[in-house]
Amino acid sequence: MGVVVKKVELSWLDRTYVWPVMKGMGITFRHFIKQLFTPTSKRYTIQYPDMKKQMPAGYRGLHELKRFEDGAIKCVACFMCAEACPARCISIEAEEFSNLNFTQGFEEKRPQVFKIDMLRCIYCGMCEEACPKDAIWLRNDYEVAAYDRLSMQFGKWDLMNTYAEADGKERISEDPIPSVPRRAIAM
Amino acid sequence: MDTLASLLHTSPAIAWMGVKIVIVFSAVMLLASVWTWVERRGAAMIQDRIGPNRAALFGKIRILGLAQLLADGIKFFFKEDLEPTDANKGLFWLAPFLAFVPAMMGFAIIPFGRDFTSGGHVYHLSVLDPGNGMGMLYPLAIGGLAVYGVLVAAWSSNNKWSILGGMRSSATMVSYEIGMSLAVVSLFMTTGGYDPSEIIAAQGHLPWHWNVVPQFLGFIVFFTCMFAETNRLPFDFAEGESEIVAGFNTEYGSMKFSLLALAEYAHLMTASALVATLYFGGWQVPFVAHPSVGLSILSFLIKMLFFAWVFVWIRWTLPRFRYDQLMHLGWKAMLPLSMLNLIVHAWLMSHGR
Repeated sequence: MGVVVKKVELSWLDRTYVWPVMKGMGITFRHFIKQLFTPTSKRYTIQYPDMKKQMPAGYRGLHELKRFEDGAIKCVACFMCAEACPARCISIEAEEFSNLNFTQGFEEKRPQVFKIDMLRCIYCGMCEEACPKDAIWLRNDYEVAAYDRLSMQFGKWDLMNTYAEADGKERISEDPIPSVPRRAIAM
Repeated sequence: MDTLASLLHTSPAIAWMGVKIVIVFSAVMLLASVWTWVERRGAAMIQDRIGPNRAALFGKIRILGLAQLLADGIKFFFKEDLEPTDANKGLFWLAPFLAFVPAMMGFAIIPFGRDFTSGGHVYHLSVLDPGNGMGMLYPLAIGGLAVYGVLVAAWSSNNKWSILGGMRSSATMVSYEIGMSLAVVSLFMTTGGYDPSEIIAAQGHLPWHWNVVPQFLGFIVFFTCMFAETNRLPFDFAEGESEIVAGFNTEYGSMKFSLLALAEYAHLMTASALVATLYFGGWQVPFVAHPSVGLSILSFLIKMLFFAWVFVWIRWTLPRFRYDQLMHLGWKAMLPLSMLNLIVHAWLMSHGR
């Protein structure tokens, strides 16, 4: 069964072309004036290097390795994120650390090397989902770029400091000397 | 002017002619290149965008992105000058000039200000003085030449899309020119002369005596035909970029393309000057019977730039017609309308009104 196409009947005013054209010009002129008198900050366009978009809360941008209050890394090197990663961009080497004093002796695990290849990462957030310790977060920075491939290999300290400036924390570059067992600290 | 003439060992008339040519053509060139920027910014504003605003002089002075003109010019100058292997080389080089020269030449007849007397000489503010015997026939004839630029560019570049654009452009020219000429002929009739200065003088300084009021039909026809003549958007069949790549200038690059683009804008300036002269009293200032020279030039510029803006405005309002639709419009609507206009005014004149 064929579809019957209804022909639009134009009124004589529309068939003159002149009046519809003037109506259309009115619309475009309204847009022109509106845009002309809108201040730059309120226009739809975000002029990128000068203005930046505020990313929504759930945005998956550059990773951060979270740390405790004393600066120790939350990651326990369980390799869950590396397993979950579909792009296979996380590589971890674990190490043990201990403080075997006589009252609160403990022996724990942390990553010695935690590397994310940002060129391979697809920002899917699977590592964040998989992490049992909430140690890796994907946050709102989307400006991940560099001049060479090597600088896109983010190491443990790069990842722990990615949001240090934005959060007003100080940059750290070595593990603090452990005093209490990590499991004793409330998550 | 006399001192300039004596310095150059010429007569004041020749020196004045030289000065006029320099002023008029540099002004049209400048306006045409500025209008590329106006077009892009205007289009952006109409579409709720921002447009080119980042090009800056020395990386600092932004002036609304006006430096984009310089940037574009420099870019076009330094691009590689390619031409297709099978192109007709001579015509391929000639075509941009064929497009550009008529676009500029049309402006020569238009009086852009009141004539003034100084030191016993009468100075006319138009490159061709009034009483040269060509009058308004000259820009119409030159406008007819403009299609050769498009057609030669299309034909010489040995490209299917180009030649389609060229054929479409020449086919449209046949259909709009008669209606346009008849609209102008009825102006000649009511004015009693075809010199632009006579037409301007006949219109007077009162806006309701300007030709647009008694000949509104003629104005609509003429203005619509101007879109077809300048190859501007509702009728830009020569370069339907959604249908035939870029039409007649598909194979053009670097400065040759720049010249073709500039020719379009120069043509736009000439066309809007023609509309202002024929239907909106040229340099006449509303309600001022004897304006000063500066005021008359300013009035003319405002009218001309307004119509140039209307060209841009319409371009970003209307979609492109199919070209059989323009044929339809040209032969079945514009021609009868301008005929009607002619007959009505002839009848009115024969009854002494």
